[in-house]
Amino acid sequence: MNATVRWVRGGGLSTLVLLIPLLLAFGYFAWFPIGRAVVMSFQETNLVDAPAWIGLDNFTKVLSDPLFWTSIRNTVYFTVLALIFGYPVPLALAVLMREFRRFTGLMSVLAYLPVVVPPVVAVLLWRFFYDASSTGVFNTVLGWFGLGPFPWIQDASMAMPSLVLQATWANAGATVIIYLAALTSVRTELYDAAEVDGAGVWRKVWHVTLPQLRNILLITLILQVIATFQVFTEPFLMTGGGPNNATTTILLQIYNYAFRFGDYGAATALSLLLALFLAVMSALYFRATRSWSTS
Amino acid sequence: MTSTRIRMGVAALVVTLGLAACGGDDSADDTKTDDDAGATDESNVDDEVTISVSNLPPATEEGDRQAFLARVDEFETAYPHITIEPSEYEWDVTTFAAQLAGGTLPTTFQFPFTDGGSLIARGQVADITDEVRQLPYADDVNPSVLEVAQDDTGSIFGVPIAAYGIGLHYNRELFAEAGLDPDQPPTTWDEVREYARTIAEETGQAGYAQMTQNNTGGWMLTTLTYSLGGRMQEGAGDDVTVTVDNPATARGLEMLKTMRWDDQSMGDNILFDWGTINQAFAAGQIGMYMGGSDVYNSLVTENNIDPDSYGLTVLPLNGADAGVLGGGTIVGVRPDASAAERAAAVAWIDFYYMAKLTDEDAAVADAQTLADSGAPVGTPALPVFDADQLARSDAWVADYVNVPLEQMRFFKDNILDQPLVPEPPVRGQELYAELDAVVQAVLTDKNADIAQLLANADANVTALVESN
Amino acid sequence: MSNPVHVPERSTTSRPAEAPLPAPPAAKPRSRRSDPADRGILSVFDRRRGRVRWIVRIAQTAVLFMLVVASLGPMLWLAKAAISTTQDTLRSPMAFWPSGLDWENLSTAWNQAEISRYFANTVWLAMGSWVVQLLVATTGGYVLSVLRPRYSPVVTGAVLATLFVPGVVVLVPLFLTVLDLPVFGVSLLNTYWAIWLPAGANAFNVLLVKRFMDNLPRDVFEAARVDGAGPFRLLWMVVLPMSRPILGVVSIFAVLNAWKDFLWPLIVLPEPTLQPLSVRLPTIRDTVELDVFLAALLISTLLPIAIFLVFQRLFLRNVSLGSAVKG
Repeated sequence: MNATVRWVRGGGLSTLVLLIPLLLAFGYFAWFPIGRAVVMSFQETNLVDAPAWIGLDNFTKVLSDPLFWTSIRNTVYFTVLALIFGYPVPLALAVLMREFRRFTGLMSVLAYLPVVVPPVVAVLLWRFFYDASSTGVFNTVLGWFGLGPFPWIQDASMAMPSLVLQATWANAGATVIIYLAALTSVRTELYDAAEVDGAGVWRKVWHVTLPQLRNILLITLILQVIATFQVFTEPFLMTGGGPNNATTTILLQIYNYAFRFGDYGAATALSLLLALFLAVMSALYFRATRSWSTS
Repeated sequence: MTSTRIRMGVAALVVTLGLAACGGDDSADDTKTDDDAGATDESNVDDEVTISVSNLPPATEEGDRQAFLARVDEFETAYPHITIEPSEYEWDVTTFAAQLAGGTLPTTFQFPFTDGGSLIARGQVADITDEVRQLPYADDVNPSVLEVAQDDTGSIFGVPIAAYGIGLHYNRELFAEAGLDPDQPPTTWDEVREYARTIAEETGQAGYAQMTQNNTGGWMLTTLTYSLGGRMQEGAGDDVTVTVDNPATARGLEMLKTMRWDDQSMGDNILFDWGTINQAFAAGQIGMYMGGSDVYNSLVTENNIDPDSYGLTVLPLNGADAGVLGGGTIVGVRPDASAAERAAAVAWIDFYYMAKLTDEDAAVADAQTLADSGAPVGTPALPVFDADQLARSDAWVADYVNVPLEQMRFFKDNILDQPLVPEPPVRGQELYAELDAVVQAVLTDKNADIAQLLANADANVTALVESN
Repeated sequence: MSNPVHVPERSTTSRPAEAPLPAPPAAKPRSRRSDPADRGILSVFDRRRGRVRWIVRIAQTAVLFMLVVASLGPMLWLAKAAISTTQDTLRSPMAFWPSGLDWENLSTAWNQAEISRYFANTVWLAMGSWVVQLLVATTGGYVLSVLRPRYSPVVTGAVLATLFVPGVVVLVPLFLTVLDLPVFGVSLLNTYWAIWLPAGANAFNVLLVKRFMDNLPRDVFEAARVDGAGPFRLLWMVVLPMSRPILGVVSIFAVLNAWKDFLWPLIVLPEPTLQPLSVRLPTIRDTVELDVFLAALLISTLLPIAIFLVFQRLFLRNVSLGSAVKG
């Protein structure tokens, strides 16, 4: 009794009361669903009958679905393309902008502008830009230079690059600003030292700037990979996974399982597989990059 | 039959069921009904019951909305103990199961013929056999139509309220611009191809387009297959064989391939679903496309189509077994509805949906309200009962027709001669999803191997059907 | 960082603890012109050379031009298309005012297509998410950072752990949880609570606020305690006023992310009259004319852009936080 009274007097109760919002929010909407995901992946859940244990059936179903490997391939393709388009461009832009003395504020605002455009608006707008006829917006512009018309999202091989182009437009600005912030902490006396050694611009970038951005570059790389592995809005609204499943991503598969065909167990099983893969990949990545830094 | 007779019939029905509810509920209902059954134990005809009903038109369709609300008021006057809560809920296969489980599904809701089978099989819609059997016109419903709302044992799980056949919609202005006679729509698939090429060459718009996305691609490929005499599934019940890989489908795809790549008459954009293709057609970007015969209603209310430009004809049929794919709308009741709610729901279905088909006064009143609010009246439909009855009800509302019926006569005059074929019965939506990819492949890849695509799709669908 | 996924922002995208977390208050970019010691890759000497100066100038103009075309271009096009006729936009999308203006589109979109309603829904949705996120983040951060009960490491660990679970894992189970809330047994489907409450489970917010409060001077708290302030008064009178900068950051991204959210509201708000703009726009596309639809797109973008322009400093200074908070 005494201990309890002391606990309350000492503010223990008020502390707990103050923690209730956090405990409720995380308990209900983070910790519980995470645990439930594991349980659900071994159950048949269709919202009609009570959930039934079915062992590994969900995983078997997901893995034997002809679209499984298609969606993996597409997702990896998206991720790789997003890295090719979306990784070097912001870096180059940030390094350049750092050298400028005028309009840098305006440039930052311009670079970041697409990021604040709601993704749905951006995707729907670009879907219109991607009109494949010669009077489509992009085809008209390219037509001025004698190019095109291109089929854009109406073609299985062009659809994914088109999605990546849009996603890069929508997201690159944030990365530019992050790099810009990181560049302000680059130790400039190293440039002086490099110049003493007779280094030109490229060697300064390569030997001074980039090494000092190493940490932030490594982190943005893995974060971008993790994010692009969960791409959904773009294929969902732009192509619906088409043409001929060329843009069906893993998350689109998960959505289709759960919300198109009502198989919540299969959806959760696929989510877990994806999460597991991402976790293992991140762990390996951090281990690998750590060993680089020690060597 | 007169409206009073029907009303009394339904009132009697409500009484019977209110009393019958003491007996408890059938096993088809889920566990939640225990509470509901308890609550209805003391219910009788005078007890207040509130049901929610779906498909209140959104405010963007103000005329339709007012007409709907007016009918709700009339209903509540006729059945003082029933309160109606109108909801804008519209059938959506992606949210249906969740809405049912989450308790936000209206008591009655409309769903397409396509989904009837799976809903019934999964127990997601109430057995309303007793209620429906007491409707005075229950025995007059066209048996082949009622079938879509029945299970193997003949129990009834819904009331078919409208039926349509797929037709060929065409843009009369583009026809004229291309030098074609809008009053001579194509009657064979060869003509469709020929016309499409002319339209594309003369106007620069897509001569012919077809839906490809969100299961509509499979839906339309199935339609094309039927019209060329093929089927996607053979047999019935547990003995269904998948026949996706059949000569008619291959011929249909070959035709699409030729039109897309050789004739270049299908335009450059091929990713269409129901909403986007209607939109593009109303904007004058498409010469011809296949769609339900009732599409004109949404073309008017949602897409602001110019009525003068609209034309509708029947699909060309080619081959011995050729038929036109039919579809329609069923109204069902939540599986966990109490007996009193079920009775009230069927009363609403009778009052709102069926009266306009079976009763002259109701039909006229309905047509008048719709016409006053600028909503379309007279779009061709297929008979829910029989052809005579359809002709009769058409005659009742003839004065209120505000759609260009003359431009739809090619369809109206011929559709009853075309054999109606229902949609593939087993795993229809998954089959359609699989075929979406096939159509998209043919329309986006010049070198698509049709035989290979069909063989793959056939194998995938077979695996699905066998796991059923 | 490139993050094209918009799983609900409360979702706990895997976010390594090493994610960039600038110490508060966020460092101001140094004003480079006034600081002669400051230099970039190019030295002050380099810059004086005529050739270099010209190259820098050309590059500067080129980058600016490119940014204007790439970032502003689509938005300007949208603004033009929103007040053009459908046929103009379809036939000659890049022409400058082919047949005059059509201001009607904006009012048609606002009234007939009911953008006003969905706009209000979105605002309401954003406000609720903001309140819940602030509540959870401030009380949680305060307890874990300032009060530090004995069990706080466990809670901090559990919160941190959710950062490592990709948002996609919880999507379906979270949906089922919202469908039938355990213990309470109610369904949140078709209510804004389904969006507001899960928004609170944002580990990044909590850790951000905690980290900020960790750096506040503890002797101020002690002084307040000596003066007899209990935990609630301490929070309200001392800690919250001192935490304003971080709360500003959390707030702005909470509002913006609620505005951007798509998949989660799509799933939990099937009732059309409740839906926010993001969910409604794809449907509206099929039911209104193209010019009206483009006007609707424009209207939906204006508020986020306005917020950004007004608070641009706050944004640009905290982007690394923001894109991380976004999850």
